[in-house]
Amino acid sequence: MNDISIVVKSLRSRRLSTIITAASVAVATALLLTMLSLRTASFEAFQRGTGTTHLLVSADSSPLTAVLNGVFYANAPSNPISWSKFQEIKNGFPYEWVVPTQQGDSFRGFPVAAVGPEFFTRFEPVRGEPWKLVDGQFPSKLFEVCLGSTVAADTGLRVGQKIVLTHGTGASLHAHEHEEFPFVIVGILQPSGSAHDRVVFTDLESSWILHAQERRERAGIEGVATVADLTDDDRKITGILLRLPTRPGRDASAAIQQQFDALRRDTAIVVAQPAQQIDRLRSIIGNIDELFIALGVAVLLSSGISILLSMHNSMAERRKQIALLRALGVARVRITGMILTEATLIGFAGAIGGCALSLIGNAVASGALKSRIGLVVDPTLDPRSTVIIVAGAIVLSALAGVLPAITAYRTPVADNLRPEA
Amino acid sequence: MNHAVELANVHFDYGDEFSLSIQELNLNKGEMALISGGSGSGKSTLLWLIAGLLRARSGSISVAGERMDGVSESAADRIRARHIGLVFQTHHLLPEFSAQDNVALALMAAGEPEKTHASRSRELLNKLGIERVHVPVANLSVGQQQRVAVARAIVCKPTIVLADEPTASLDEVNASQAMDLIQQACREAGAALLCASHDRAMQSRFERVIQVDSFVSSARSHTQTGARA
Repeated sequence: MNDISIVVKSLRSRRLSTIITAASVAVATALLLTMLSLRTASFEAFQRGTGTTHLLVSADSSPLTAVLNGVFYANAPSNPISWSKFQEIKNGFPYEWVVPTQQGDSFRGFPVAAVGPEFFTRFEPVRGEPWKLVDGQFPSKLFEVCLGSTVAADTGLRVGQKIVLTHGTGASLHAHEHEEFPFVIVGILQPSGSAHDRVVFTDLESSWILHAQERRERAGIEGVATVADLTDDDRKITGILLRLPTRPGRDASAAIQQQFDALRRDTAIVVAQPAQQIDRLRSIIGNIDELFIALGVAVLLSSGISILLSMHNSMAERRKQIALLRALGVARVRITGMILTEATLIGFAGAIGGCALSLIGNAVASGALKSRIGLVVDPTLDPRSTVIIVAGAIVLSALAGVLPAITAYRTPVADNLRPEA
Repeated sequence: MNHAVELANVHFDYGDEFSLSIQELNLNKGEMALISGGSGSGKSTLLWLIAGLLRARSGSISVAGERMDGVSESAADRIRARHIGLVFQTHHLLPEFSAQDNVALALMAAGEPEKTHASRSRELLNKLGIERVHVPVANLSVGQQQRVAVARAIVCKPTIVLADEPTASLDEVNASQAMDLIQQACREAGAALLCASHDRAMQSRFERVIQVDSFVSSARSHTQTGARA
């Protein structure tokens, strides 16, 4: 028999109350941990998709718009970049790789991105995670597409089927379908957990031919456009992804800022460092994030109060037990310690239960979130956050035990050992 | 030192309502005495003073040669745990604890080595006729609960057992059996016994009867404070 065994027996004797109180701590802990996981996941979701890009060039109105349009496909960029400007930029610095992109078309509401071949071979949507195919291959010929994982899942399309792209987005007044140019689905991409998953990818020349055809129709030229019909005016792009050389294993380079500054001097283009713009986005949504954390802390505090109430209520029943222990010679301080230990144990059990609950919840949710909305949630718990939250829950529980412990300390012995007490 | 308990010039009061003054009261080791007196006469108060659960205004109280007065509360706790066994009218057992655990509580409070708790408690309970030592005491009969309470009082081999109205809620036959048990247990443990009872029939069981009324110097009301029962 020792103090801990008395505490454990006491908790077991109030099994239902103990379980309910510990469960409230567990739910609060799990909620807070899950909120932090989702917060981390949402921040990482922004980072995912920029992948290995150092600089993004577009003709959008601002760097943030350039990133929103060029990386997250928020809208089709409104201003094009000429092919000659692309060549000028490409040849102006020994980049590790350069990927021209062009947006403007859509398929059943999903954006279509025409990209250079380096997009699949050099660019990685997530650093260290190059493109992989679930089925088929990357587009290598005219009028071939590969579908992002979300597009494939939502439409149910498979490799070998043909689709017709829409010029403009579905919401545009001038949107119309390019029925004369069916595209063959040659590949389905693996989920990347980024905005790219809801995009249809094709090659630049196919996209240019669609627009050459429109030009010819407007000019009353009959027949179907081919590569040979493309003019310099047709060869337009809306974005350029750039990566500068870095040392092996490194993602950063001092040259990034220098080249960023150099490109900014060109007033015809907008240049953005995606990482910086994402940090700006984070600061914009930071308040919402803090609100969620505050809610989680409020839930944790309320569970602390429920511990206090549960233990405080039990003190009335336990006055005789405490008086008896005192009569047997157990010191007041020792009994106070037992009550605090009880509260701490409830908090500890709740916090550990909360971790388990959060782990199970994350494991179940991570698969569904990735496949449904492309949000990658790490099913494991961040050790630092977990330690802080578990420690916080335990300290809070111990604090909740202070008032009952004081009540126990003050329990009069003689009065409570009277037969009628 | 042959005294289990020594009181000298002890004064205690509950304000103006009640005061208890004891010039001298000694109880020898192994001696069995009855504190007799009516309801509210101060029998329990005297026991609580000896046990250190109430503090005297003045005077000295020693148990097994150790002063209970003038020492810190924790020191009094230690003396009580080591030298005093307590038996109550309503047993005051922890109902969710087993018989063995209830007895082991006293060993724990006295700081006895933890590894001996189970065996010492079990052996004593068996000796007192309790075989189902792991059963919660709430599931035992009243008679068995009484045995567990007595076992808890003597398991630390105390110098003195203080019994507060141990038979008050029992009929004559059961009261007699309970007192047989307590006295025999104290005898075997070598402990003195100071038993408070308002039952005059108990007097024949004791070699010494202490009339508590003789210590009460003023008592306007004997019913207002339960600790004076």
